[in-house]
Amino acid sequence: MKTSRITDDERAKALKSSIKPEVIEKQKLNVRYNIEKFDVNDRPRRFLEAFAAILKHSNYRMMLDHYSRIVSRCSLCTTTCHVYQATGNPEDIPCYRSGLLLDVYKRHFTLAGELKGRISGGGYLTDEKIQEMADSFWNCTACRRCALECPMGLDHGLITHLGRYILSEIGIAPRALVVSTREQLEGKTKNTSAIPVPALKDTLEFLEDDMFEEKSVRIKFPLDVEGADYVFFAAVSDYLMEAETLMGIAAVFAATGDKWTIGTGYYDGINYGLFYSDRILERVVKQVDEETKRLKGKNILIGECGHASRSAKQFIPTYCGGEKALPVVSILEYTHKAWKEGRLKLGPDVVTEKVAYHDPCNFARNRWIINQPREVLKAFCKNYVEMTPSGDNNICCGGGGGTVSIDEIRPYRTTVGGKLKADQIRKSGCEILVAPCANCKKQLRELVEDQGINVQVVGLHDLIYKAIIFDDSLIEKKEEQPSGKEEK
Amino acid sequence: MTPLLEFAKGPLFRLCFVIMLLGLARIIFLDIWAAYKAYKKAGDKKMPWKLTLSRTWEWVFPVKRLIHNFQVYSVLSILFHIGLILVPIFLFAHIQLWKGALGISWPALPYGWAFWLTISTIVFGVSLYIGRLVIKQARMLSRKQDYLWLILLLIPFITGFVCANISISPGSYQFFMTVHVLSGELIFILIPFSKIAHCVLQPLSQLVSTLAWKFPPDTDDDICTTLNKKGAPV
Repeated sequence: MKTSRITDDERAKALKSSIKPEVIEKQKLNVRYNIEKFDVNDRPRRFLEAFAAILKHSNYRMMLDHYSRIVSRCSLCTTTCHVYQATGNPEDIPCYRSGLLLDVYKRHFTLAGELKGRISGGGYLTDEKIQEMADSFWNCTACRRCALECPMGLDHGLITHLGRYILSEIGIAPRALVVSTREQLEGKTKNTSAIPVPALKDTLEFLEDDMFEEKSVRIKFPLDVEGADYVFFAAVSDYLMEAETLMGIAAVFAATGDKWTIGTGYYDGINYGLFYSDRILERVVKQVDEETKRLKGKNILIGECGHASRSAKQFIPTYCGGEKALPVVSILEYTHKAWKEGRLKLGPDVVTEKVAYHDPCNFARNRWIINQPREVLKAFCKNYVEMTPSGDNNICCGGGGGTVSIDEIRPYRTTVGGKLKADQIRKSGCEILVAPCANCKKQLRELVEDQGINVQVVGLHDLIYKAIIFDDSLIEKKEEQPSGKEEK
Repeated sequence: MTPLLEFAKGPLFRLCFVIMLLGLARIIFLDIWAAYKAYKKAGDKKMPWKLTLSRTWEWVFPVKRLIHNFQVYSVLSILFHIGLILVPIFLFAHIQLWKGALGISWPALPYGWAFWLTISTIVFGVSLYIGRLVIKQARMLSRKQDYLWLILLLIPFITGFVCANISISPGSYQFFMTVHVLSGELIFILIPFSKIAHCVLQPLSQLVSTLAWKFPPDTDDDICTTLNKKGAPV
């Protein structure tokens, strides 16, 4: 899909930094995201030390050797990168961005590069190069669509991932992500939104009452049930912002009757480690695993969130026992299976608006979950429309790779990152956009607001909650209305 | 035949060919060995083989690309590669050379095919060169070697075409043939040490990219220890 480039005015607005000049001066780094105080001295040496340590204990060297041998700079990735498509800025070309790190690797970690560097006397890593990487790696939304287009098979998203990881080891990482992660791993509440257990319980009780009011069914959010089939981890921000998604999920379980639970020891599916640090990724994944084991749960169930689902699906086996690791199920898979088995009934006349489905990159890029939510939606949404391209070739919402959580770059996200998506939404003519991902939903809501598109952005289970039909045996008759009020 | 040409077609050809073969064998071995070690270290050994193989197939035989993004560029590139691979291996005169040098032979391309494939490779190669110069994003990305490689690859095609199809004086023929053979041999030597290594490594790319996401377990502690960050807050 082609798009028009942003105008100069839009570019100025998008690239305008909210970081104060004195802060930039002090941190000796000009980036648009806030960073916590960090050591600014001797940065290149520390970057290389971190790089060396990561290479020593990881598998990245294989990828870097292979990529640096064959990278051909053909520019085909420009045809799919939504950031480059919007800006037309050569520095936003995925292959250019990857080249920043590959050059450092070749120069400092290969024999040929070392010899070449000594002969020419140049090519050293400098503060300027670190500045460029710190800026560039966070302009990318790590959607990995460009990887589909690279004839050489380079996964530029993986290089961005590694680049951010190394930078984070020398203190260069968005404060929004670091502070949330600190609370999740070392704070009292153990979650990124700092929701304490009593507040969680209050919220869930309130939602249960609400659901009874609306559906006349005792729908529960079971807490700390041992031996449940599914231990549930939502993107914890859902408890603050996505009540209908959670109610939809609880309603599905009420309809199927399967045992599920939320552990109060740990209940956050968010894993910012996927965006900036493998060390964080590992720690968060282990907390999910530990909580599930504490409750003797049989499956780890992740809510509507692309990165949380992929983090668990891909990395629970990595860090928690390989083949013996607990199975990870996405709520999209669970609901689809329940519907397919006839255990979930959805009313076909409830949602009449034009509905489109947005593929979160972390579900679709590797062809993990593409058709399941579509099948469910088509079953009860009369007016379903498809956006193209979609599936594994979908266009990123513009807030992927953790960028959506960095509020200070919202103008960048909704002007540059989301430009192509906004054009696609407009073209589809949809009235409701279903995005089963906490990150995508936040970004898409901000995008349609900033771009003036009249579309309602919801989760899949928000619509399911509206359309679900419960078995009569579950519906309780409400108490009779007080006298004096007419019954309809 | 001049002594230089004789030397170039004989011992030098064998030497360059052996360097290329050994060089390619080395990088294939290094790649596969690195992939094996990565797999052994990976915490999760379950590989999505079907997806990896289907994406490998799609790129080794990029038929889908003909109707995809950047169609002209893709079509030119694919056709350029077809000539680049087929002509050096299946041209009748080359097979004679292989037979003389290595003692093995195989069926040759019909003359007409070879003629048009050579022309198309030259035309498409020049077009790609112009593309690199003219298309803004390609120009921005291109390194010196990207331009030099296209020129170097076209030299044996142009000189070979002149020798095979144009009536020229014996002296000129010797000159063109010498340039043809020497440039071909220079390509042989450089292939394993340059981006042209993709001729053997590209089919491994999807495997490498998939495997690269298979991280080793429990590296948090190791990296913290190495970087002296043990116990440091997040």
